[in-house]
Amino acid sequence: MIKADRVKEYEALLDIYEREGLNRSLFDDRVAAIIISGSKIIGLNNVPGVEIKGEEIENGVRADVRIADGVELPFPIHLCTGYLKGEGHQRVEFNITVGKNSKVKFTSHCIFPYAKDFTHEAVSRITVGENSSVLYEDEHIHGEGVRMISRTEVEVKAGGRYTGRFSLTKHRARELKLEMTVKLAEMAIAELASKVKAVKDDSVEIREVLLLEGAHSRGNLKSTVIAFDNSRVNVVNEAYGLGDYAKGHVECHEIVKGRADVQTVPLLRVRNDKAELTHEASIGRINEAQLVQLMAKGLTEEEAAELIIKGLLGE
Amino acid sequence: MLCLRNVGYVRDGRRILQGINMTFREGMSYSILGPNGAGKSTIARIIMGELKPTSGQVLFDGSDITELGVTERARLGISMAWQYFTDYEGIRVREYLTLGGKLKVGEDEIREALELVGLPYELYAGRFIDKTLSGGERKRVELASLLLLKPRYAILDEPDSGLDITAGELVEELLDRFKKAGTTVIIITHHEEIAGKTDFAYFLCAGRLVKKGFSREVVDYYRRTCGRCLFVEGSS
Repeated sequence: MIKADRVKEYEALLDIYEREGLNRSLFDDRVAAIIISGSKIIGLNNVPGVEIKGEEIENGVRADVRIADGVELPFPIHLCTGYLKGEGHQRVEFNITVGKNSKVKFTSHCIFPYAKDFTHEAVSRITVGENSSVLYEDEHIHGEGVRMISRTEVEVKAGGRYTGRFSLTKHRARELKLEMTVKLAEMAIAELASKVKAVKDDSVEIREVLLLEGAHSRGNLKSTVIAFDNSRVNVVNEAYGLGDYAKGHVECHEIVKGRADVQTVPLLRVRNDKAELTHEASIGRINEAQLVQLMAKGLTEEEAAELIIKGLLGE
Repeated sequence: MLCLRNVGYVRDGRRILQGINMTFREGMSYSILGPNGAGKSTIARIIMGELKPTSGQVLFDGSDITELGVTERARLGISMAWQYFTDYEGIRVREYLTLGGKLKVGEDEIREALELVGLPYELYAGRFIDKTLSGGERKRVELASLLLLKPRYAILDEPDSGLDITAGELVEELLDRFKKAGTTVIIITHHEEIAGKTDFAYFLCAGRLVKKGFSREVVDYYRRTCGRCLFVEGSS
């Protein structure tokens, strides 16, 4: 699985997993995985029903992940993208195809702990087959200087289900552009949840698009952003109700502290009188009632705020 | 001892409370009874420090605590369960009850507190305090949190509102448990049957104290007079 000349990088990644409290058992032989460091594939493991093919490209890696029909895995598929230098550029491309009637979970880790002036570009295309269910969790370990541009296109076929969870809360976002588009066929379901904490002069742009094309398709977009200091955050949630009886809900909650500049733009568009879209948004300081109720138990305002934010970000 | 001395409260030019004098001695239980809009919850929030009175004082063990904030009062031993308990996305019941780990209590104590308020430990300790819990369930969590906190004074604002038919029994059990823990309970209520479960009661109407005394006497007076007086009209 590991090429001899790449053992050191592999071990360095394992050390970071240990330090950051990430699940090291994802490096087990029973777990389908691709481990990337810089523009090299330093580990690749396939298991029955999962075929991962990787190719090293200029400044990065391209990988095809194919899940056969009727596959249900006991462990997640591990996509680990690391960059262990301070400066540079990395581009990763994932083409993920999940067959029919399968149930899989992806755990994606982006590990850039020493980044000072680093650009990470990720392009993912995910196809979820008929009646399949995919959970994709994305977690990030960033140094102080990461510019991250991530674009994901998901197509969910009839009766399929896609759940995407993006989280960048423990480390600096610095410069983040996150774009996710999900297209749903009939009876398909999608749920996208993004949680981001922006501090200092971080800049965060999130755009999530839900295309409810199929009849009876359903989708939920939810963004939670905590913006501190002088950070700038722009969240655009778009939902398009196109199919008969399609239902979509868009939710954006942003908590602002300091001089942060935050905006949220919900865009709901219906082109079918049987479709239904709703949205919910809030921007502001932490809910006063939540603070007071915790302070009445003896917490200071700062301690209460910390607990509330921790909950919101799922830490 | 906790006292309100000649407390008044004016909001937007409207007099909400005037000349309120109340005393809460440790070891007893109290209710503040009155119709909607009488100013009961305003008194609760003034005691807790969420609102500052526009006149008068709040005294605790003889010291003036009128200017102290919510946290400082909580640290003196005053706590409160609000009428409308908010939700906390991403925070589990266990985490809330232990204040994110700051309150050192064992799992057995958490279990006991939850089960006393009618929430089976196995089903609730790990649940999120979000919209997946009903208002009544959230309220029970808040009551359990006060049981674990064991404050010297616990203000329960409308503890039965939003709860099902078992609310009366629950209030009795809470009073019993708080008494054993040495907590003086102050219940805010407009239900005479809930007020009747405490030792003493204050009957409040239109921001004024109408009657005080043993709960059964005050409740009896409330039954006979409330809705037939001119206070409400006179207060506006």
